[in-house]
Amino acid sequence: MALLEIRRVSKFFGGLAANSDISFEVRQGMIMGLIGPNGAGKTTLFNCITGYYPPSRGEVVFNDKRMNGLHPDAVCKLGMARTWQKVRPLARMSVVDNVMVGALCRTNSLTKAREMAMEQIKVVRLEQRLDARAGSLPIGERKKLEVARVLATQPKLLLLDEVMGGLNPAESEEIIELILDVGKLGITQMVIEHNMRAIMRVSDRIVVLNSGEKLAEGNPREIVANKAVIQAYLGESDA
Amino acid sequence: MNMKTSTADIRGIATLPLLLTAAAIILLFLLPKFVTSTYALHIMILIFISVIMGSAWNILGGYTGQYSVGHAAYFGVGAYTTKILLQYRHIAPWYGVWAGVAAAVATGLVIGSICFRIRGPYFVLASIAVAEIFRVSALNLPGLTNGAEGILITEVPPFKIGNTVITDFMSKVPFYYIGLVIAIAVILATRLVQNSKLGYYFQAIREDQDAAHSLGINLTLYKNAALAISAVFTSLAGSLYGLYVGFIDPGTVLDLGLSVQIVMTCIIGGIGTILGPMIGAVVLVPFSEALRSNMIAQALIDSGLVKEDSPLGTFLKEQLSHAHVLIYGILLVVVILFMPDGILGFIRKLFASKRKETA
Repeated sequence: MALLEIRRVSKFFGGLAANSDISFEVRQGMIMGLIGPNGAGKTTLFNCITGYYPPSRGEVVFNDKRMNGLHPDAVCKLGMARTWQKVRPLARMSVVDNVMVGALCRTNSLTKAREMAMEQIKVVRLEQRLDARAGSLPIGERKKLEVARVLATQPKLLLLDEVMGGLNPAESEEIIELILDVGKLGITQMVIEHNMRAIMRVSDRIVVLNSGEKLAEGNPREIVANKAVIQAYLGESDA
Repeated sequence: MNMKTSTADIRGIATLPLLLTAAAIILLFLLPKFVTSTYALHIMILIFISVIMGSAWNILGGYTGQYSVGHAAYFGVGAYTTKILLQYRHIAPWYGVWAGVAAAVATGLVIGSICFRIRGPYFVLASIAVAEIFRVSALNLPGLTNGAEGILITEVPPFKIGNTVITDFMSKVPFYYIGLVIAIAVILATRLVQNSKLGYYFQAIREDQDAAHSLGINLTLYKNAALAISAVFTSLAGSLYGLYVGFIDPGTVLDLGLSVQIVMTCIIGGIGTILGPMIGAVVLVPFSEALRSNMIAQALIDSGLVKEDSPLGTFLKEQLSHAHVLIYGILLVVVILFMPDGILGFIRKLFASKRKETA
């Protein structure tokens, strides 16, 4: 069953089509990779899906509900949550408080929220940093905090926008493990990533965007072998 | 480390402020029994009003990060509603005050639904503009507000329950107690907010609106909630001021200068903390009173540091009281430069570095 359906979504900024006529679906339980060169429209698509922009055309259907026109907070309450390419820690709040803000989406009790937060902090292995100010964390831990915070909102679908950006190989490895662990919890994920090795490892299926259009879709093996994808990434060959 | 001592330490840290707070409250309640100087009581009442305004602003500005520089609007709406009802409708202030609160909250929700669409410096400008609309309106609606002449009522009707007169408001003491009670109420409210979902959401909005939005926080709803709480107490401060001072006009209770003074109380004390606005008020109110009343110049002359007939002496005596706004400004610059987290933040940093040295 499709948890998320993108139906012919377009987004125009003035005359520029950041997304044009994109369609695909994300099935329950899968990890969907979303790749493409810089400026391909990946983050714009995330913004259209999560309510930051209304799509200019087309429909976003989540859990059989039309999402167009809903605000990000309503989208989150319905079970679709996103992280940010540029991390957005609540800098002067502690790690545990950051995650509690996410948990408070599902409860009004601080005690309950703290319990829920602790659970997610364990998932991302930040137990040692509970009381540290979020703004003081190094980038690797900030990315983990972001994942814990968004997990605490108890999403059915998690959208991760370049969680490995700016990380060293060891840290990236940890995030890969984390994505796979979250997948095992039964949470469907859509992952934007530039790190090809990582995306090939975690994704069940991959959608490739280029210049705002959908270029290809398939399992990782098909995508690596796809001529159009190779061209988009490496350019025309002269030979 | 030994577990027993560490838990005892934690408990000690938690009970000490509680005891100090209780002691301070008892002292403040007993104060008018010992202090009979009306001037001292006057200063205390002004401090209470300043604490109420500052703490009220702090909920919106300090915790939620929405720097309103138009809080005079709520102060003025409170003061005017109470006094207009008393003057023209003969409604006793203890009812009028609540009408003032309702009017201020309604005003806040209208202002909020317009201004909260914009962020950062644009919100600041919009909040100033809206407050100015109120000031200019009050000036130009003499039928309602008596225009620039203002409203003067020096006699507050006695407060009765049944036939027993609780107080006749003939001295400063009843105003002192009313100010104290409201000040305690606003501080309690701040604490409640801080330890609730509201407080977490307010701070999340302050730290990053987009992140907060994506975590399921309805920005408009929670910003308006913060503004409503803030407006309630700012309006109470306005009503109390109007009744206590007796005279209000658009140039005092709806003035941009008042809005700035409210923000300054918080910046100088420490934004986003419970103690901050209290410290700000305790420092600023006596300081500006001393400047205005020429006390500082007189003290310098009396102490012999400056000769009265010297050019400096005459200058200080004649000019210093006019310069209180300038000195206020200089103080603000100094605090922002050297104590970016206010006096409270500065004191905490001092203690933290001392602890490190001893450790």
